[in-house]
Amino acid sequence: MSVQGKITGWPVNERGAPATLVAALAANAAQAGGKPGFREREYGIWREWTWVQVLDEVLALAAGFESIGLAPGHALTVVGDNRAAIYFAMLAANALRAYPSPVYPDVPVEEFRNFVRFGDPDIALAEDQEQVDKLLELRGRIGRPKTIVYDDPRGMAHYTDPGLVALTDIAARGRARLAAEPGLAADLVGRAGADDIAVLLYSSGTTGLAKGIPLRHSNITGGIANAEAGGYFRKGETLFAYLPTAWVGDFVFSLAAGVLLQAVINIPERAETALHDLREVAPTFYLAAPRAWDAMLTRIQVGMADSTPLKRRLFDWFIPRAIELERKRLKGHRPTALESAREWVGNLLIYAPLKDWLGLSRAERAFTGGEAMGEDTFLFFRALGIRLKQFYGQTETCALTAAQVEGHVRIDTVGRAMPGVEVRIDDNGEILIRSASVFHGYADNPEATAEALTPDRFLRTGDAGRLDANGDLVVLGRVSELVQTAQGERFIPTFIENRLKFSPYIRNVAVLGAGRDQLTAIVCIDYEATGHWAEQRALSYSSYAELSQKPEVIALITAEIARVNELQPEGLRIRRFVNLHKDFDADDGEITRTRKLRRKVIEQTYARLVDALYDGSRDVTFDAKITYEDGRQGTLSRNLSIREV
Amino acid sequence: MFFRKAGISFTRYQDERRIWRLPADRWTVAVILALLIAAPFLIDRLYIISYLLPLIIWSMAAMGLNLLMGGAGQIHLGYGAVIGIGAYASVHAMRAGVPFELAMILGGVAAAAVGVIFGAAALRVKGLYLAMATLAMQYIVDFVIVQFPAISGGSQAALAVPRVSFLGIAVEGDNAPYYVALAICTVLTLFMLNVRRTSFGRALAAVREKDYAASIIGVDPFRYKLLAFWVSSFIGGMTGAVLAVCYYRTISPDQFHLDLSIQLVAMVIVGGLGSVLGVFLGVGLILFAPIVLNQLISWGADQFGLAIPIDLRAHLPLMLYGALIMGFLLIEPLGLAKIYNNIRNYFLVWPFRHARQ
Repeated sequence: MSVQGKITGWPVNERGAPATLVAALAANAAQAGGKPGFREREYGIWREWTWVQVLDEVLALAAGFESIGLAPGHALTVVGDNRAAIYFAMLAANALRAYPSPVYPDVPVEEFRNFVRFGDPDIALAEDQEQVDKLLELRGRIGRPKTIVYDDPRGMAHYTDPGLVALTDIAARGRARLAAEPGLAADLVGRAGADDIAVLLYSSGTTGLAKGIPLRHSNITGGIANAEAGGYFRKGETLFAYLPTAWVGDFVFSLAAGVLLQAVINIPERAETALHDLREVAPTFYLAAPRAWDAMLTRIQVGMADSTPLKRRLFDWFIPRAIELERKRLKGHRPTALESAREWVGNLLIYAPLKDWLGLSRAERAFTGGEAMGEDTFLFFRALGIRLKQFYGQTETCALTAAQVEGHVRIDTVGRAMPGVEVRIDDNGEILIRSASVFHGYADNPEATAEALTPDRFLRTGDAGRLDANGDLVVLGRVSELVQTAQGERFIPTFIENRLKFSPYIRNVAVLGAGRDQLTAIVCIDYEATGHWAEQRALSYSSYAELSQKPEVIALITAEIARVNELQPEGLRIRRFVNLHKDFDADDGEITRTRKLRRKVIEQTYARLVDALYDGSRDVTFDAKITYEDGRQGTLSRNLSIREV
Repeated sequence: MFFRKAGISFTRYQDERRIWRLPADRWTVAVILALLIAAPFLIDRLYIISYLLPLIIWSMAAMGLNLLMGGAGQIHLGYGAVIGIGAYASVHAMRAGVPFELAMILGGVAAAAVGVIFGAAALRVKGLYLAMATLAMQYIVDFVIVQFPAISGGSQAALAVPRVSFLGIAVEGDNAPYYVALAICTVLTLFMLNVRRTSFGRALAAVREKDYAASIIGVDPFRYKLLAFWVSSFIGGMTGAVLAVCYYRTISPDQFHLDLSIQLVAMVIVGGLGSVLGVFLGVGLILFAPIVLNQLISWGADQFGLAIPIDLRAHLPLMLYGALIMGFLLIEPLGLAKIYNNIRNYFLVWPFRHARQ
């Protein structure tokens, strides 16, 4: 039974626009019911849902979730990769005035209890058997969630645990209810209001336990309206929903923006096929973390290093010139006729095929944010003709605070405040923000809320920054991250690390030097790129650890660091470094799930190494503690050599 | 470099199996078709009659043979005879007042009926022995045509094709025969492109790879070998009718001798077994290389004043022609189609070396 034509009214806000995501969904079904809303790749082809079908599905799920007891004001734990059914369930929770609380799918069960602290989540939605197993174990430990709903039934046939329900059963129950109760559909669309919570997210937990961040419908609709007014979003985009569901970016940029602006939301088949599926979609709006752009650049560089001589020479001739032109253009230079001609030919030969290969040939609006981006990566993609821009935002503001506008793009700024966003710099240099998208306070944490929100509802971001002459915001780093060397030179380690990570051979790096007389670095090589480099030079290796200690590899990394050092002021050059025997790993607590460094953990874990970096020794024997996947611990002794740059 | 793949996605599997999935390929096909249609207005009639028309008709014949050789893996050295049967059967029918459209199908059926009898030999013999059996067909058919004046109109006589029309258009003058042949060739090309996507095409491929294995997986080699001979001979017979009406206008037995059969086998092998595009390339090379070489040599001789003896001047193109064919097959034993594919792949993965994700 379809709702087509039956729902003609929905809650609206003071702008006359739909007040909630469910209302927006109903509006799409009424205004553009036949247009595709969601597309999901399944066994190689794209399955489409029109907006009417999406609304049908969401309302059926809502009615079904209500019948199993999802109550208003409660959270629905959601854990899994991007799936259309999971997005539908999130919206269904919204229709019931409940809210989804997405959790990163790779969170181990020990940490999982931190992500069910708020909103009494008695019901959880798991993507597949793997997540169901995790949730069952969680229930064994803390008695929650009571009901586990699963999307993918594969492997679930013989589970007899109580409280396991298939998502298709929920939808079937809901459909039966919708058929029996004629007014239910319209009722479900009208229940939620602008002040209801739309989603509960968690802060990254870089500094301790993750805080719950509830975002209301008014925050999200307000933020998207600001972004649309600034031209950062258009109606009818083609979106690619591949970001981790637990990151604010996915909920706001994929789901909410898609629903509010009638986009086509394309969902890849699996996380592993995302890069391939991206090419089939060719989105018009694309958002990726700087790391993902770096990885893309690495793929191109590795591919080109392997290419035929003619193709490689063309690439090597055009790309540096294009980057140089882009660098000048960002400074206000207008290309000469010769440069324009060269760009036209370069586009024909190199840039357009590369954009096509990446699947970004239609990406009119390409963004990056979350952390600073390496200038080289930034310029590379802009030189290809992808109008990459930086944006700035945090979970607390729906990630919609400031973004660059074409014509005022500079590597060191994050752009200007979006329309409707007020930015203030306080006396400590901290950035304060007021906007409709700023949240109303942390979940069950009045102290943290009081710390984060000023009495006049400005959000304290914790970022140090300043406004430049054009009114563009410059973010220097975390207020807490600004550190000094023993000589009093102020620097932000992340900034240097990002420059180093531009090298395809360096995957992670920790720059040390706070309170010391010089800078040093712990480097984690990129296994794939460095491995490829080694294979081409007939260097044999059997493991990451062995590869990282090869003298040739150490020399390679030395050269990479020396290159970055040239751009650094004298007092802030890296003098010594060590190649680590392993990559930093979220399971060892060295980086967060969003791949930010946890410096304290690194400095503690590698204290011997850090000492050796500063006492002038040539090598160091390091007893590495290893946590195996089954939880056992072991120790491995490694001899790591230290090199001067 | 020219190929764009971003944004190509499918919501149904049947769309994913379409013949030309890339816009660049569709554009190429559209441009070539448009050029072929506009050709009579762009180039001199001499080129149409002596180059384009033979290219189209010989390609039809080679496609029919390719279905048998490349598709089902059965060699056929008597394909010229098959075409001859079609030509004679249809011309006799037309002289008796049967319209061209019907006579063409009659020619096809006659050729298929005779072809399938000799094809039945393929059920018992393979490889060289099948080559011998089909060669026998060539000679028997030649003999029958010449010896029965009722068919040939006497041993030295030639049989004139009456005036006919195709779908209401009189097939006379310079352009009408060209367009008729082009239309029939286009339909045949679409058929050949699609046949390998059908269960029939896949069954032929199974028989080609190994007939024992085919019968184990449930493909009856008996049926599909006969079907392959039937379909291939039918196409040959139809081509004979088109050849007679659009090109020769007057047919005589010597037009369908062994050298035509061998020429067609060479076209299929040089073009690439089993490839539709290869057929056109192979026909182009075999038909035009001697002409082009001949002209090049006379031009070179005149230009540089080389005193090439007259008999060497006649033989040199043929020597070069042989060397050219051997050279192509040495470079790429899978034929011109494979060479085209290699070039296409080079641009398809541009600017990388391999397809990578």
